[in-house]
Amino acid sequence: MIEFDKFTLENGLRVIVHRDETTPMAAVNLLYNIGSKDENPERTGFAHLFEHLMFGGSVNIPNYDEPLQLVGGDNNAWTSNDVTNYYLTVPKDNLETAFWLESDRMLSLAFSEKSLEVQRNVVIEEFKQRYFNQPYGDVWLHLRPLAYKKHPYQWSTIGKSIEQIETVELNEVKEFFFKHYAPNNAILVVSGNVKTENVKHLAEKWFGPIEHREIAERNLPEEPEQTEFRTLHLERNVPFDAIYMAFHMGKRTDNEFYSTDLVSDVLSNGQSSRIFQKLIKERNLFSSIDAYLTGDFEPGLFLVTGKLSEGVSFEEAEAAIWEELNKIATEKVTDYELQKVKNKIESSLVFSEISYLNKAMNLATHELLGDANDINTEVEKYRKVSIDDILDTSTKLFRKENCSVLYYHAKK
Amino acid sequence: MEKLYRNTAPEFKTVDSIEILGDTKYTLSNDIQVHVINGGSQEVLKIEFIFDAGIWYQNSPLVASMANSMLNEGTNKYNAAEIAEKFDFYGAYIGFSAAKHDASVCLYTLNKHLSETLEITENLIKGSIFPQKEFETILLNKKQRFQIEHQKTNVLAKDEFSSLIYGKQHPYSNIFDESEFDKLDINTVKEFYKTHYIPDNCKIIIAGKVDQSVIDKLEELFGKKAWPKKDNLIDAKHEIQSSEENKSFVCKDDAVQACIRIGRPIFNKTHKDYTTLHLFNLILGGYFGSRLMQNIREDKGYTYGINSIIISHLKGGHFVIVTEVGSDVCKAAIDEIYKEIKRLREELVSDEELNLVKNYISGEMLRNLDSPFALSESLKGNLPFGLDNSYYQNFIKELKTVDAEKIKTLANTYFQEEDLKLVICGPDNCRKSI
Repeated sequence: MIEFDKFTLENGLRVIVHRDETTPMAAVNLLYNIGSKDENPERTGFAHLFEHLMFGGSVNIPNYDEPLQLVGGDNNAWTSNDVTNYYLTVPKDNLETAFWLESDRMLSLAFSEKSLEVQRNVVIEEFKQRYFNQPYGDVWLHLRPLAYKKHPYQWSTIGKSIEQIETVELNEVKEFFFKHYAPNNAILVVSGNVKTENVKHLAEKWFGPIEHREIAERNLPEEPEQTEFRTLHLERNVPFDAIYMAFHMGKRTDNEFYSTDLVSDVLSNGQSSRIFQKLIKERNLFSSIDAYLTGDFEPGLFLVTGKLSEGVSFEEAEAAIWEELNKIATEKVTDYELQKVKNKIESSLVFSEISYLNKAMNLATHELLGDANDINTEVEKYRKVSIDDILDTSTKLFRKENCSVLYYHAKK
Repeated sequence: MEKLYRNTAPEFKTVDSIEILGDTKYTLSNDIQVHVINGGSQEVLKIEFIFDAGIWYQNSPLVASMANSMLNEGTNKYNAAEIAEKFDFYGAYIGFSAAKHDASVCLYTLNKHLSETLEITENLIKGSIFPQKEFETILLNKKQRFQIEHQKTNVLAKDEFSSLIYGKQHPYSNIFDESEFDKLDINTVKEFYKTHYIPDNCKIIIAGKVDQSVIDKLEELFGKKAWPKKDNLIDAKHEIQSSEENKSFVCKDDAVQACIRIGRPIFNKTHKDYTTLHLFNLILGGYFGSRLMQNIREDKGYTYGINSIIISHLKGGHFVIVTEVGSDVCKAAIDEIYKEIKRLREELVSDEELNLVKNYISGEMLRNLDSPFALSESLKGNLPFGLDNSYYQNFIKELKTVDAEKIKTLANTYFQEEDLKLVICGPDNCRKSI
């Protein structure tokens, strides 16, 4: 059970406080309700590039990192298709420094031409390093547009191409900031060795004066139901063939999310899982294989991805995967097997509650999705999943016309 | 309402000392040392069994790593699938790792399932049988991973750099050819297991919610229960043979970036100048505010990231700067790296920068040493040097005595341009940057 206090400032900023006395530190996590799905299709990668610019100095503070490092703090941020999340940790006595820094960059940025120019290059190098200079690095750049035809999940957070990032201009950056960055479009979570009273005082002092901003209602194109089996073949300079299968599933807040998650666990969580035992250990068809969900806020993807063992053909590999998927979609799992994956979920929740920073991020995500307290009721939702739910969910998911397959060929 | 001064930083406190949850020592009846770090809010345990069974002790490549991995693949009581089934059912996690000197088995479990999970762990440490089929599968999959890893410029650069620093044959380099996978004999691996996973060679670190019942269980399974000792342990000897060569280029034609490594062999953390080296490293490339990151990423935009690291091995160590840059700016990036090192040789670090870095390290220690699990990780790293986690408290004291003069002296003693080795891995057009 994670206890927390919650309040909202007049400008609409939601604040959550979780006390954990076992650490001498405090974490501040600021989640903005803006992700790459909100981008203009001609300007993909913008939300992520913007995240970089948030470190380029704010309206009253020329350098974000230095003052934080001076008080023993550290920080980072990440962007997903759904959100942009900024977090930092400081020794508990220096919590106010965190409020000072975070509130100033919510107030306004320095919008420096130099920072834009440099970060454009940094992001382009990031693009190359992570997507082009790694074996299998570009998979998602191709798999997303194969699975999504209308919805903005069709591009990655890094963007569709380097060219779209190269041409970003400063006026677009300003416009983006005031359109999406606002107290009423963010959730602030403070965790660690902190007191609610003090956090409340600091929140009102530093974030209170920031004006409420008009945020346009999100109106994303819906992804039409997939009706045909889709395939794509790529050939790259990699040592082994690999297969990537994507199935459309529901959104994070659907009740079915929990059974879908457990389906992926039955298939591939842990070494006793079905596809690990069957396809790697028994049949030696893959050197690695995994089934998992993207966990996206909007209708997401269920993936089965594997690297083929030397000498195994795509036909054989794919047929073996379908065999396992058809099995779970037609035969009931046993009580024991369902109990096992539920035990694993419960255990991983207990372990995840060790870290105060982790708790802060999870609280923020749950609050944005509806209610921070869902962090405490999730276990119950997993417990309720029945044998029939697993069967129904699998039957719905694992249909050929709901599937896109990327065959990643090793150049011979 | 309070008046806000947004352009003035709030007051802050520096971290002058850190409280560290220490470890309690027990000795099992067969003389195994147990270190206990008791704390945390969750009912969880991390129990790590550490053996002198790392790469240092093997006579040919892959032996230590395969012996370690095979512990999970079948015992005199259970086959591999049954072992996996049991750990998964109890929501436990078992990890295996073979490092330069030690190799370990690490159990993460909920307290309530300790009895069951510890019994399996005992069985796989003492009763592994190394089935042929599992051996082949694991080896083949490791080979595929090896082949994929060796497509990466940073891995190719790392291998080449290690061989310049330690020599190709040294265990700290751990470089070997793909063909070794086909040559490995299961009996060599089995023999290594039998001679190295023994009580004389073992220490245990437990972290989390530890009460007497945990200690009792450990004594029952690993102290009292049969586990024969061997008294003729042989220590291995390896000489570091740094290469005469200072520069090397590794060609990877399809790379879109160049991976650069610049560094040198250096003393380990038992040396009197280690604290000064730590500060030197931090200022140069050890954190986001470092000179290299600020210059090469934040000013020039040549890279997504650049870092410098000190690796402290038990019998040696090295210092290295690592980055991946656009191939068109490879030469420019290298010049800037040398320029930053030269500045540290020629100019004193300002009080302001030194102060910031000292505060940053103290905060980092506080952050990294705040949970029993994290402390057990640090303790594992410190024990081979004859140290425990009070090392960090001394470190913070020592930190105060390091001034700009000391850093400059260190830079001049160890970081002349001719002391440094350079490796580039990238497309052919980067060859001229060497």
